[in-house]
Amino acid sequence: MKRAIVALLMAAATFGAMAQVTLNVLNYQQADQAGYQEDVQIWQDFQTQNPDIKLNMEVLFNDPYHQKLEAYAAAGTLPDVFYLWPGARSAVIHEKHLAKDLGTLLGADYLKNFTGAATNPNNQLGKYLAELPQSFTYTSVMYVNVKLLKDTGFGIPKTYADLKRMVPRLKAKGIAVMMLPDKDGWPGQSCLFSTVAGRMAGDAFFDNVLSGKAKFTDKPFVDSLKIVEDLFKDGIIQRTDTSVGYGDGAGLFAQGKAAIYLDGDWRTGAYITDKASGKALIDPSDQGNFALLSLVALPGEKHPGVTSAVAGTGWAIADSIPSGSDREKAAVRLIKYLYSPEVQAIRYATGAYVPTRIGVKATLEPLPAMLPPFYAANPDTCYVLDGVLDPSVYNVINNGIISIGNGTETAVQVAADVQKAFVAWKAAQK
Amino acid sequence: MTKAKRIDREAGRAYWMMSLPAFLVYLLVMAFPIGLSIVLSLSNYSGGKMFGGEQWSIVGFEQYARVVRDPWFWNALKNNFYIVLVSVFGQLPLGFVFAYIIYRRLVKWPDFWQGILYLPNIISIIVVGLLWQEIFSPNGPIAEAINLSARHQFESKLTAIIGLKGHLDLGDGALGRMLALGGPQAVNMFTNPLPELRDLIKSYPVDQYKQLINDLTNLFVTRWTPQFLDKKDVAMLPVLFVILWMYTGMYLILFLANMQKIDTQIIESARIDGANEAQVMRHIILPALSGTVVNSAILAISGSLSSFALIFALTGGGPSRVTEILSIYMYNNAFLGRPNFPLANAIALITVVISMLLVLLTKAVEGRYGGKE
Repeated sequence: MKRAIVALLMAAATFGAMAQVTLNVLNYQQADQAGYQEDVQIWQDFQTQNPDIKLNMEVLFNDPYHQKLEAYAAAGTLPDVFYLWPGARSAVIHEKHLAKDLGTLLGADYLKNFTGAATNPNNQLGKYLAELPQSFTYTSVMYVNVKLLKDTGFGIPKTYADLKRMVPRLKAKGIAVMMLPDKDGWPGQSCLFSTVAGRMAGDAFFDNVLSGKAKFTDKPFVDSLKIVEDLFKDGIIQRTDTSVGYGDGAGLFAQGKAAIYLDGDWRTGAYITDKASGKALIDPSDQGNFALLSLVALPGEKHPGVTSAVAGTGWAIADSIPSGSDREKAAVRLIKYLYSPEVQAIRYATGAYVPTRIGVKATLEPLPAMLPPFYAANPDTCYVLDGVLDPSVYNVINNGIISIGNGTETAVQVAADVQKAFVAWKAAQK
Repeated sequence: MTKAKRIDREAGRAYWMMSLPAFLVYLLVMAFPIGLSIVLSLSNYSGGKMFGGEQWSIVGFEQYARVVRDPWFWNALKNNFYIVLVSVFGQLPLGFVFAYIIYRRLVKWPDFWQGILYLPNIISIIVVGLLWQEIFSPNGPIAEAINLSARHQFESKLTAIIGLKGHLDLGDGALGRMLALGGPQAVNMFTNPLPELRDLIKSYPVDQYKQLINDLTNLFVTRWTPQFLDKKDVAMLPVLFVILWMYTGMYLILFLANMQKIDTQIIESARIDGANEAQVMRHIILPALSGTVVNSAILAISGSLSSFALIFALTGGGPSRVTEILSIYMYNNAFLGRPNFPLANAIALITVVISMLLVLLTKAVEGRYGGKE
């Protein structure tokens, strides 16, 4: 009898030790992205350090990622841990409360390790902490080839007039003043227009539009679009940029096809040394010839110096996991690992972003090392329009900027289209 | 139970056992999604868990009304009709003529031409889309060839205005003509055009005359780009060309295969009786292939309305939605930004209804003019 009981207890202990929690994870990554090798290692290390947690990982990128997430949400089979956007890009997750509130789950003690901007629930669409932003992203950064400008007789531009003055001499050399690859539509709005609109109209204007006190056809918004119109008309941005894909832009800039390249802060990762090949688009020894700056002063701007920024992406836990369950505990352990100083230092070093986790240090190449001083020099931020407007409205802005670039629509026409789309969206909400 | 009844019952059971798996797969993979699509298109489902989540209900034809009110739907429908027209009145006649020429051996090396015309069909659609995207791009081979030629001509005109090395004419007249050569965009580049242009030219040393001409050409030459194709209606032209190029070969093979079933003695008899090739085609080949033509037309119509991959790879429906077709319009509403599945399903069903109407029209035309095999 005794032996039987002992045998039973040993079997139970063994079974308990062997019991694994399986977590389904939807990761956002692609092999050609900066930091891919490091990302693979990060996940492998978690598995090694946590043998009691088995990860079923699915890896997707760009539109396929968002489509799959929507399909999982519709099927009620959301992965346990998934990557999430803070705004309308992941609207359904926020609005249907399909992710757990990390503010409650992780607790104030843990969250004090992060910046206030990251843990502010008002920076997310659902007004709760559905994901913990890994960074605070500046979507509009001028990557300036200082050496190229110096070689062609120019200094760092501070105003719109400075940019315009560069056009004849640079164009004569076959160099664009400013490059904005906008074939995909969103870069024009996110990397340029959001800052332009923030400077010319201001966040309060968009709050007023949303509350019905202002319209997109009002002067501030039309003037913002006119700045974009002028940028193309004056030759500062080439009209052919509306046919250049986003993926091609970084390489063209590194080849010296443009003096200035407009993109978000995340793009520093594209230029640094790829660990697998040992090659960099811009060699570390040359990165010091570049500068990261906010957009130049614009004629007639009402809010000088603001730059579009938004809470960054991060990891979320599915709300369907029962509270207090082993799966929830495992998911929290995974989240805390992903946000640990060690993992965040690895991500920081790849140039992916500057972490919101306080005190993270990494050895950086010169270009990503310019980001913290850039943030410090540009503390005043404004909305990124695709974070505050519905997709049915901001997609019209995206397409409108392409039309302005092609010369097929004017600023006034695009403003009218946007207002029409907004009215239709408002009517559909009732 | 009689023996006959027992055999009937056993036969029935056998039929059901054989066909049940396939029938269940059909219900699951075809019938259920179609049924769900119809139900969703009439609902107010707004994302999240479809069954067991937030309640949603049937609200009627709200989404259909929304589709019909949307000008982008009509734009997409118009683009799809262009594709249907090119498919039915472009691919089919061309495929038929090529098949006839090859069948009648009116060209040398017919097997080679058959292979080369069918080749686009075996290349991945995405590769074809990206290939032609590159060809039609502002930096593609067409634009580069045109711009190289334009550049030589421009340099000649510029040299005639500015003068030769060491004898430059920098008077207001010459500079004005230079700016006129560059067009309005040339003037827009400068704040004070004449003085700035004069200073720019003077900054070049005498021995850098060639560099000066090269740089002034960079500055003023209007680079030809296919961006005129970004305008509505015109933007579909490259798309239609690529569709014609890609799928004509498929119909060539279809027609050729059916032509080879025709008794050659009938054709020989007709030729002996004095019929020429056009008469042979009109009175023998075409009637014999009338059924094939109708079936091909049905294939062309349904393929045109459901096409997605090629145009998505080629233009993505852009720029600014001018080349958007119904399938891309549906995709954008289903998956981009905030998904609207009821609306996307309504678009899908409208596409199916349009396809069925066109097929019925084709069958009516066949009933009137066909059946002469």
